[in-house]
Order: sequence, then structure tokens, then C-alpha cells
Amino acid sequence: MEKNYYLGVDVGSVSTNLVLMDEDYMVCEKLYLKTSGHPVETLKNGLMRMAGRFGSSVKIRATGATGSGRQLAGMLIDADVIKNEITAHAVAASSIEPNVRTIIEIGGQDSKIIFLKEGIVYDFAMNTVCAAGTGSFLDRQASRLDIPIEEFGRYALKAQNPVRIAGRCAVFAESDMIHKQQTGHCSEDIIAGLCEALVRNYLNNLAKGKNIEEPIMFQGGVAANVGIVAAFEKILNKKIIIPRYYDVMGAYGAAILAKEEIERSGKETCFFGFESINDNFDVKSIECKDCSNMCEVIKISSNGELKACWGDRCGKWGALPGKVSIRN
Amino acid sequence: MVITFPNMGNVALAMQTLCQSLKIPYVLPGRNNKATLQIGSYYSPEEICLPFKLVLGNFIQSIEKGADTLLITGSCGPCRFGEYCELLMKILSKLGYNNLDFIVADLSSEIGIKEFMRRMSRISAASPISRSDKIKALYTAFKVVELCDKIDAMAYHLAGYETNKGECKQVLNEYKTKAFECKNPEEMMRLLDFYKKYFENISTNNNKDPLKISIIGEIFTIIEPFSNFYIEEKLMDYGVSTRRTLSPSWWVKNLILKPIKMDSKDINRAAGEYMPYAVGGHGRECVGEAVLAKGYGMDGAIQIYPLGCMPEVIAKSILPAIQRDKDFPIMTLIVDEVAGEAGYITRVEAFLDMLQSKKRHLKVQEPLVSRPVTVRCLGNHN
Repeated sequence: MEKNYYLGVDVGSVSTNLVLMDEDYMVCEKLYLKTSGHPVETLKNGLMRMAGRFGSSVKIRATGATGSGRQLAGMLIDADVIKNEITAHAVAASSIEPNVRTIIEIGGQDSKIIFLKEGIVYDFAMNTVCAAGTGSFLDRQASRLDIPIEEFGRYALKAQNPVRIAGRCAVFAESDMIHKQQTGHCSEDIIAGLCEALVRNYLNNLAKGKNIEEPIMFQGGVAANVGIVAAFEKILNKKIIIPRYYDVMGAYGAAILAKEEIERSGKETCFFGFESINDNFDVKSIECKDCSNMCEVIKISSNGELKACWGDRCGKWGALPGKVSIRN
Repeated sequence: MVITFPNMGNVALAMQTLCQSLKIPYVLPGRNNKATLQIGSYYSPEEICLPFKLVLGNFIQSIEKGADTLLITGSCGPCRFGEYCELLMKILSKLGYNNLDFIVADLSSEIGIKEFMRRMSRISAASPISRSDKIKALYTAFKVVELCDKIDAMAYHLAGYETNKGECKQVLNEYKTKAFECKNPEEMMRLLDFYKKYFENISTNNNKDPLKISIIGEIFTIIEPFSNFYIEEKLMDYGVSTRRTLSPSWWVKNLILKPIKMDSKDINRAAGEYMPYAVGGHGRECVGEAVLAKGYGMDGAIQIYPLGCMPEVIAKSILPAIQRDKDFPIMTLIVDEVAGEAGYITRVEAFLDMLQSKKRHLKVQEPLVSRPVTVRCLGNHN
């Protein structure tokens, strides 16, 4: 019998991830691509690579989209479920470790902490106004020090005397790092200091007054940074679990949610195959001038035909005939 | 004299009616939008809170439409609101708007009843109608805001129960648009009566068990929808029933009751355990509302405040304790001049997912993921 597969996509600020999951919740293929500011192209590219590898030999039974670009991604692949990344990450983590109590998720632009009890999310927090400590900031520091980001964490482990850096704010942290570098500290000590500062900032910002209980899972791109992981273990004095597919957990969660949704509803998938990726998608945003709300309306068209609109408060654009309703 | 006032939820509708009854020329502030915020933040001090930026934006836009008398509520209270009027006067005069008249409605308990009456008489003097009609006008204006708040509350509550999806939101927007077009108080009252009846008779499904959320926090940012990304309307889209105690009519009633210390007694009593003192703004009300919300049958609460709002920052630090003690989820959203809505939507959606799974879990013991990856995994831990 032909096996069913589920596709999950996570379009984030920095990376666009795709996961192809089989019926037994096993990851058959994962892709981690840099969004590089072009979510549509990156996603198309990812689907093309999936198509190249699996072609029409797999039957996609359901698709799910998540990440900050989930509306757009959901539109492009006609996703059966569009879910926020917090829920997607929680679902993915508790599938792998049903008893997980704390999820630390640090991505390109934001960081989150999710608390679970008996498989139920009971609290979460997301960084508010500051991006210090997220992937983008680490990327920037790595390139400033001319160290490949993959190597960055390892430098921290080699430190003898980590320096003290203010992690409260990305700008302050950078000034501090430059100051330390000009006083002659070695890169290893500075990077280790930075990792600790960022972890302290993360805990201070997101986990204040909350109990961080084990098992603790660390996912998102930054989990690849061994320096940050070591700093977490040192400061929390607890063991951190890094799941095998830490970098695509959001997409994995979206695939699981898609499977559950399609099984619950018993519907057929809306996914129209990898080949549809050749469709020419065009995204435009206009400022509606019909009233003083001046909503920013996003219009998506495919091959010259308007497919969806969103962003309007009155519902006038979203309700245009023949258009797909984005919500629900 | 051409009077104008800040746009703050239903306050604008009450003021519109008042000016119409008093037969005083007025400039209605346009709905807050990106342009208002842009103008406001450009001329505001860097560290001021969001409401100030919007108020300044409103005033500049209204002055350009011909307003020369600015009415603003004042406060000698301990939060930044206390410096709003002085700052507004200074900024506007630096911008070269020199012939402006400011009428600052401070609390009579703070400036004395005599001074209060003197300030109010400046508006009153511009009105040609009789004294008794003026009192009637004031009463009608209050009636208008009270009705508007009531209709809003019904719409927000019924959104969770409506049979025709989206009806409540659509009708709510329809009545707001029409209300701003009303030419006289009679027309306004007729319109509001019509919509009140409309919502009373709207088709609902009472078998539904929607999520119910309390909106708490800083008063301006919760009653002026532009400042909170229209959160109540968004929640309507998700079929969530919301409740909010703080409203313009609540505020007026509260101010009247304040001198005899009868203001928001239940809220203050509820807050007492966690915050026995007023900390400025509506910090204590926020805490009290959080404590009371579960008793109202709410599933969770969302606290909203402008970045840097001191009273709400204090309240926020107390909310985790209430969350723990009452097993009642509370999420905080901090708003400022940010265009990216995505982060807010993500938080709201995740919060709703969380409440929903908690609610389902209470009914049947169903975990987040119905089937774990491998049976082995489950076996190990049981």
C-alpha cells in the first residue's frame, strides 16, 4: 500500500525549514535553508529540492505551515493547517519527549520559553522588545570577529577566564565586547563571556519568577551553538537535551499538526503537488485609502490572478469573490 | 472657539454629542491611524509613552483642520500622564501654534472645585443654550458613552456565541462608522438604541463554549483599539468572547465616586491581597481585575500597556503570582510604535491554543499530542 507523507514548513526570519514526515512520525527529509530576505523564493527552492528527491513517488496527505511567514507560506502551498510557531514547537518537542517540562527555543529574531505539564502548555513567554541573544546577533558578532558561525560556540568552550559582558541590550553587549577586545582579552574569553551574558539575559527576560524544570529541551538554530548550550547548563546547573532535528522542530511540529488536523477533519489535502511551485507568485502591498484606518493590504496573485488578500480591518479585501479566506 | 479633543475609543463619540448639543463648533479627531502616530512620535519626546504620541498626533491633525481650543483631561497623579498637558503646551507652542487655548480637566479634588468650575465655564460660556439645557447636554453625552460601551461589551461578548460567523464584528464596525456621521444627539440616541436592540436579538448559539478572555491593563491602550492592534476585534475573528471592565463610562463613574471613596470598591478589595496601595494610573485596577477574572468565568486574561508605563510595570510583576495562586493564565502585551504585528499575532494565537488545550484537558484528560512518536517512548516514562 502506498504510504502517506506529511509536509511541514516553517518560514522564519532567518531560516526556512521543510520537513517531510511519514505516518510513523519519522523525519524522512529535512531542509534548513537561509531565508535571506526572500521567503517566497526560498520556499519554492526548498519545494523544488523536495520534488527533485521524491518527485511524485510520495503521496502528501497533509501540509502545515508555521513561523512568522506562515500566512504567506500557507498561501503558497495551500496548507491544511497554519499554526503559530509556539504551538508547533511545543507539539514537536512533546512528540519526541512526552514528559518535556521546559522548551528553550532561540531562533533568528526571537526567543521563546515554553512550559509544559503532562503534555499541556501552561505558560510561555516570547522576548519583548530586544533581540539580544538571538541568532541574528550571534551571526553578526561572528562575522565581526571573522569566525564562521559554526565555529563560534567551540571558541567559547576553549575559554580560560570568561569576561563579563552586559547582555541586557545588543548594542551595549557589542560595545562591551569591543572594549574587552581593545583591552587585550582573547576571542575565546570574550565569546564565552558573551554566551553567558546572553543566557543570563534570556533567563532574566523570559523566565523570571518561573520554575525551569527538567527535562529541558533546547531547539532552534542557536541550539547548534555549543557555547550557548554550555552556558545554559552552567547557569541552570541542569541537563539540556538537544533533539536530533533541533533546527527544524517548528516544521516538524507543523507536519504533526497537519497530520492531526487531516485525521480529525477527514478531509482531503488542499496541497496541489510539488509541481505547482512553478506558479508565478507575486506579492504586493497597498495602503487602502477608502477610510481613515488606512490598512496595509497584502495581495497575493498567481499567474496574474488574485489569490488572496489580507491585512484589512473591514474584511472588504479579504471577502473579494473567489478568494481563499486565510483565517480558519 | 473651535474645540477639539483626543480620540480615545468612545470618548470621541460622547464629545461629538456634547459639542452638538452645546452648539459649540468642534473638530472631530479622525480615527487614529499610522499617519497620526507618525506625526505624534516625530514631535514627541523619545521616551514618552504611546498614548501621548497619539494625543499629540490627534491635536496637530485637528489644529490643521481649524481647531483652536484643546480639551484634555489632566492628572496630578504619579504617572507620566501628569505631565501630558504641560508637555503638549510646550511642544505645540514650539511648533509655532501660538494662539491655542488649553482647557485641562483636572480632578476637582486636586485643583479645587472653584478652579474646576472656572475651567469648565470657559466651554460653557461659548454655548448659547440655557443652563438647564447644558446640564441636559452633559447628561446626554454621558448616556451616549454609556450606551456605546454597553453595545461594545455586548458585541465582544456575543462574538463567541454568534451563529453567523463574523456578524458581531461587522455590525460593530458598521455602528461605529454611522455614529461618527450623526448630526445631532437625537439621531445618535436613535442609532444607539437601534444597535443595542440589534445585539440583544442577535442570533446566538448558547451551546457553544467559547474561550473567554479578560482584557486588562492601561486604560488608554485598552480602550483605543488602534493602540492595541485592534486586539478585541482580532479575538472576535477567533470566536473568542472578551470582557473588559475599564471603559470611558467606567472611568467617569469612577471619578465621580472617587471623592467619597466609593470608586471601584470590588476591584480594590480584590487587589488588596497583592497590591494594597494605588501605584498610579490603573495599576491597582489591573491587579484587581486579574484576581476577579476567574470568578467572572474567564479562561485567561491579556494585560496590555504602553512600553515604559510605570504603574503597569508594577502590576506586571505581580501577575505571575496571581497566575500561580489562581491557576489562571495571564499574558502581557507591550505596545509602542511598532508596525510588525506578526509577533503580537503569534503570541495571541499561542495563548489561545494554550487556553484551548487547558480547557479540553479539564474536560477530558487529553494531552497536547494525542499519540507520541513511539510506543517505546511512552512505555519508558510510565
